[in-house]
Amino acid sequence: MNIILALIPVSLVLLGLAVAAFFWAVDAAQYDDLDTPALAPLVDDEAATRDAGPAPR
Amino acid sequence: MAGACFHCGEPVGDGTPLLATVGGQAHAVCCIGCRAAVEWIDGLGLADYYRLREGAGTRAAPADDFAEWDRPRLARRHVRELDAGRCEATVLVEGMHCSACAWLIERALSRCEGVHEATVSPLVQRVRVAFDPRRTRLSVLLAALARLGYRPHPLEGDRVDALRTSERRAAMKRLIVAGFGAMQAMMYAVALYAGAFDGIAPAVAAFLRWMGMLVATPVVLYAARPFFAGALREWRARRLSMDTPVALAIGAIYTGSVVATVLGEGEVYFDSVSMFVFLLLLGRYVELRARQRAGEVADALVRLQPATAQRLVDGTCETVGVHELEPGEVVRVGAGATIPVDGVLHGARCRVDESLLTGESAACLREAGDEVVAGSVALDGPIEVEVRRVGPATVLSTLARMVERAAAARPRVARLADAAAARFVLRVLAATGVVALAWMIFDPSRAFASAVAVLVISCPCAFALAAPAALTRAVGVLARRGVMVVDADALEALARVERFVFDKTGTLTEPAIDLARMRIARGSRASALAAAAALEQGSTHPFARALRDAARGLALPAITAVRETGGGVAGHLGGRTLRLGRAEFALAAGDDGDALVLADDDGEIARFPVVERVRDGARAAIDALHAAGIACEIVSGDHAHRVRRVATTLGIAGWRAGATPADKLAHIAALRDRGVAVAAVGDGVNDGPVLGGADVAIALGDGAAIAQAASGIVLSGPDLGHLVEAREVARCMLAVVRRNLRWTLVYNLLAIPLAALGFVPPWLAAIGMSASSLIVVVNTFAIGHHRAARRPSAVAPAPPLPRTQPA
Repeated sequence: MNIILALIPVSLVLLGLAVAAFFWAVDAAQYDDLDTPALAPLVDDEAATRDAGPAPR
Repeated sequence: MAGACFHCGEPVGDGTPLLATVGGQAHAVCCIGCRAAVEWIDGLGLADYYRLREGAGTRAAPADDFAEWDRPRLARRHVRELDAGRCEATVLVEGMHCSACAWLIERALSRCEGVHEATVSPLVQRVRVAFDPRRTRLSVLLAALARLGYRPHPLEGDRVDALRTSERRAAMKRLIVAGFGAMQAMMYAVALYAGAFDGIAPAVAAFLRWMGMLVATPVVLYAARPFFAGALREWRARRLSMDTPVALAIGAIYTGSVVATVLGEGEVYFDSVSMFVFLLLLGRYVELRARQRAGEVADALVRLQPATAQRLVDGTCETVGVHELEPGEVVRVGAGATIPVDGVLHGARCRVDESLLTGESAACLREAGDEVVAGSVALDGPIEVEVRRVGPATVLSTLARMVERAAAARPRVARLADAAAARFVLRVLAATGVVALAWMIFDPSRAFASAVAVLVISCPCAFALAAPAALTRAVGVLARRGVMVVDADALEALARVERFVFDKTGTLTEPAIDLARMRIARGSRASALAAAAALEQGSTHPFARALRDAARGLALPAITAVRETGGGVAGHLGGRTLRLGRAEFALAAGDDGDALVLADDDGEIARFPVVERVRDGARAAIDALHAAGIACEIVSGDHAHRVRRVATTLGIAGWRAGATPADKLAHIAALRDRGVAVAAVGDGVNDGPVLGGADVAIALGDGAAIAQAASGIVLSGPDLGHLVEAREVARCMLAVVRRNLRWTLVYNLLAIPLAALGFVPPWLAAIGMSASSLIVVVNTFAIGHHRAARRPSAVAPAPPLPRTQPA
């Protein structure tokens, strides 16, 4: 059972990292617009299509 | 979508439709503006917008001139310079409905020359655009937005925006800290509980307690800070509300547990306190989102204040930013428009409505030389005002503070609930004291746990949340559907309304000048149209808009000394006096005509037959109101036969014609004296006082500014179907508030005695209290959920047009 004495602090360090990552994401405006990005995959990426040249028939 | 515009969904007029080509396929559109919008969107390769959007767009107006926004002194207030070659502006975009709109705006702006980046927040209808001032100008970007069919309003700085964003971000961080903390603390608590049954090494148990304290500490000290701050504020204001018991409970549980951990004896409740904080924050976060959506309403009010003014220099008008004006200069203000500065009235007398400032809905008469204040509305006009005070010195800035205060002031429903919550809190605190004392006498070891349980399980938050949560949800739901609730009390009143009184012109009907049947007595068609449009240049009357639209593209003559009165408009053109209005006004001779007549001193020049068409969706809206048992009537200042025709078309039995504003007001007052709750729906300059006299005033957003100023609810489009929706949402809101209050009462009556008797451990109390708050919040999601059957108005052809013949 003594292993938990090491594992719990490790999990807390991971928790701290997760919270830090989340704080960064919030401050980087990742959560400010939750609507528009959902549409992005539905749209053909015209830049990529243009690079690929005319579609094969 | 035959018969409806491909872009905006409005019906396409008779005759050869305009066609716009998208992806090689032709679609009918309603106007040049929409065609330009469609073709531009297609040209940018953004035609996917039409596939992704949820509803029709807004009719695209041919681009206005935004050049005034480039004037350095105005631009300085709206454009922030980040570094060389990079400027930023925040623009509020009117007409953004769905994610596809946001997507379209983002892509279209990003493709404009010189734009670094465009970020759209659909939640708050904002676009933040970063651009290179050397390669493009703000006016170009605004014009691009207008071309897409949206109405852009540059925002002065982004104080409010920044405030809201940081508020939202802070709430999210607190929530996540509390969530993670609660999860961890719960894990250790489960281990401790299991250990209590199955045996656990004392050292491991102590370790788990210390770990629990480690994770609960940031939850209490960081995530729960708003509750402590709130309690402190309440304490300073000598006022009890929901934060006090919450803070007391959190503080007591946490301190008790810390003491137990340090001493190594007694129970710890780190899991309860973390979960308690997390669930409370969750409820608050949901409320915050709803409130921020509703914040758009306050923005709409702020938009009523003009940002630009017409400066008069040597007899010609130029548009300048209000902040550029200097004392001593003269500005011109059109009829129905807001006066932008404090100043002295020049020239003729005029009536102004100062209801925004004084609350007095009656118009005040101002003579030449009298002082007029910014924020009041000129009823006659155009008038000329000599500038005395500008900017922060004006009463207008006081007005802005009033608007802020009004937004902060809580509606009646919420105030009542708050008062109830305060009384309740007092009783709970008393009960807690009694319980603690009683247990001290019988069994001191259980006193702390029971007192904490009573404190925690009693749920003043659910009381205090019941009304505001429902209200903010309703306001937010309506805002997203294009109904702006300016005065939160209006929603409550709307739910109780038994009778709708409609104005006719501009509300149930929209006027159209029938150009095909325009009769010319003298001169050319174009010159008559141009003169008429020039006369109506400063007016917001629907006829004036129709005329201005008709004369688009013509060179307008310069008309001086324009005066608008109840009967029509008059002005000087090259020594002649031109008059435009009803025949009795224009010709000074009785002539029972419905047409607008343009005349000068020598008699009639042209006659514009006025065709009145019933608004799309008006019939459906009236039918829906009738079906809901609401009486509808028309009270109009118009001729009897026209009112009767509209009433028959719409199936409205009660109507009055020829009513003056005073008659309308008296009629509404009489109805209210009989105990009937009345909603007045109007649009137009003469509606202001009438709207002010009703229980609920509803204005159509495309009407004159004055009607909006006096109203509690503003429909942001011409669609009357929103009226029915707004009423349903309001009724649903009241029902939810009642259900929430009932539920909270039942819960507390059951839970508090159980907790006082010591049957409820604090962790269960925390679940119960948080759950009851959460249920209150979740209940409000019912508002606006069962959306009324889709209104057919968007695509259905217009109802038969009651055409009125010119005399």
